[in-house]
Amino acid sequence: MPKLSLMFDNKIVKEVSVGTRPVTIGRSPDNDLPVDNLAVSNHHAKVYYEAGRMVVEDLASLNGTFVNDLRVERATLHDGDNIHIGKHRIKVDASGDAPVPWDSGRKAAAPRIDETMVLDTKERRQMLQQAAAMGESMQFAGTRMKVPTLVILNGQTDQKEYVLTNKLTVIGKSAMATVKLKGWFKPQMAAQINQRDDGFYLGPGDKVPSVNGTPISGPLRLNNGDLIEVSGVRLNFLFRE
Amino acid sequence: MRIASGGVTDVGRVRTNNEDCFKIVEPLNLFVLSDGMGGEAHGEIASAMAVETVVKHCLDMEANPAAQVIGPTQPNWSARTKRLSTAVHLANRKIFKSAEENPDQHGMGATLTAVWIEGAKLSIAHVGDSRAYLLRGGSLLQLTRDHSLVAEQVRRGILTAAEAEESDMQSVLLRALGAQAEIEVDAEEHTLFPRDALLLCSDGLTRVVTEPEIAGTLQAETNPGKAAEKLAALANERGGPDNITVVIARIEKDSNGWFSWLRRGARKNPGSNGSVGGN
Repeated sequence: MPKLSLMFDNKIVKEVSVGTRPVTIGRSPDNDLPVDNLAVSNHHAKVYYEAGRMVVEDLASLNGTFVNDLRVERATLHDGDNIHIGKHRIKVDASGDAPVPWDSGRKAAAPRIDETMVLDTKERRQMLQQAAAMGESMQFAGTRMKVPTLVILNGQTDQKEYVLTNKLTVIGKSAMATVKLKGWFKPQMAAQINQRDDGFYLGPGDKVPSVNGTPISGPLRLNNGDLIEVSGVRLNFLFRE
Repeated sequence: MRIASGGVTDVGRVRTNNEDCFKIVEPLNLFVLSDGMGGEAHGEIASAMAVETVVKHCLDMEANPAAQVIGPTQPNWSARTKRLSTAVHLANRKIFKSAEENPDQHGMGATLTAVWIEGAKLSIAHVGDSRAYLLRGGSLLQLTRDHSLVAEQVRRGILTAAEAEESDMQSVLLRALGAQAEIEVDAEEHTLFPRDALLLCSDGLTRVVTEPEIAGTLQAETNPGKAAEKLAALANERGGPDNITVVIARIEKDSNGWFSWLRRGARKNPGSNGSVGGN
């Protein structure tokens, strides 16, 4: 079977075979081919078969993926090619038979895949270890991460500043709102800010808020420094240190 | 706050048995949904066992409030959130034990997504790839995280959302009830507002119906039972590749509002109680 050999000082450090599923390469331990070096991104590149050819794809890595010294985003690999990632070299052995293509082979290879299944104990243990490692890295990131904060610039509210600690935040007159608006004729729920996997999204409530002067047309991801206006209140969305 | 609710479960167009199961316990405002897996009829056994165990433990709260809390909890959690989370741990133990004692049930498991509403407080407990959504002010937000391999890969940037939808690994779960002696349960609390709508569903809906379609249906059809039926019908139009279960709860203003009588018509509960797969 075709394989990749991670080399360091001309010695093979690790070998993985390239089968029907992609081989992932990166610094994070959940990769099929982990490369422990700071110049390597967490999920740096992947190698897989497509239409019978072995392909390497850079996963938007910081320092790039090189094939025989040429920086590539995506390239077909040949027997004897070298992939360079950080200080490491990965030798390509494409001499074996190409695996059954992912698409046509999947039904035969995994006959019960449309039945819901749970990974077996060993796979699960690996996943749990990865999840634990991810949890740690996220905690680590958390210490450096900035705190999402709303700062009131104009308008009457119960506080001058709010740290967004909950996944769901409501701006309105309601007693249950996080950002409580004061005054007559304010809506119970003027707008909402919800945390999704990739950030904080501002959405309409009874009013359509504006961001940097433009009314939003649907949930909009907030960026550091965005100016929000709703129901006569102006707020600044900030990631605080 | 008043709650109007309804739900539906449908075998779909491909499968011959329905391994989904749900229960609405109106007096408690408790909504429980489970999607079972396993050969023969064991998926049905697992999901029914999951729903039954969770409902029973929650119903028992008044009579036996001091029952032991299982699993990690947050100090600010309400007694209900602790109870609900514990109930899911108990369901896991029960399914795991049953599969251990009956070798033919080996590999059986179930997802579980449950919401429990008390006043404006919402408690959620969740394991697997069924989902809970909140529709608020026209925006649909998934409150739960799928415990599936592809969802995990998307969160880590290994797959894009589009690649995940195309993946044939969608059915691979990282967590399910019955797979291990002890599991991790996701539990959370949120504050609800009038006019919020909650939707629980099995993956038979979300595999073929998009989130904008779910949001649109919830906005166009305010009767929870009818909206659930419409969504299940839409999934069937798309081929109904899996069992489909949809449970909807709508939060309405208190009845002491001066116009509350206008809303009374929407409070009926068609199909408010459904349970498939043995009891």
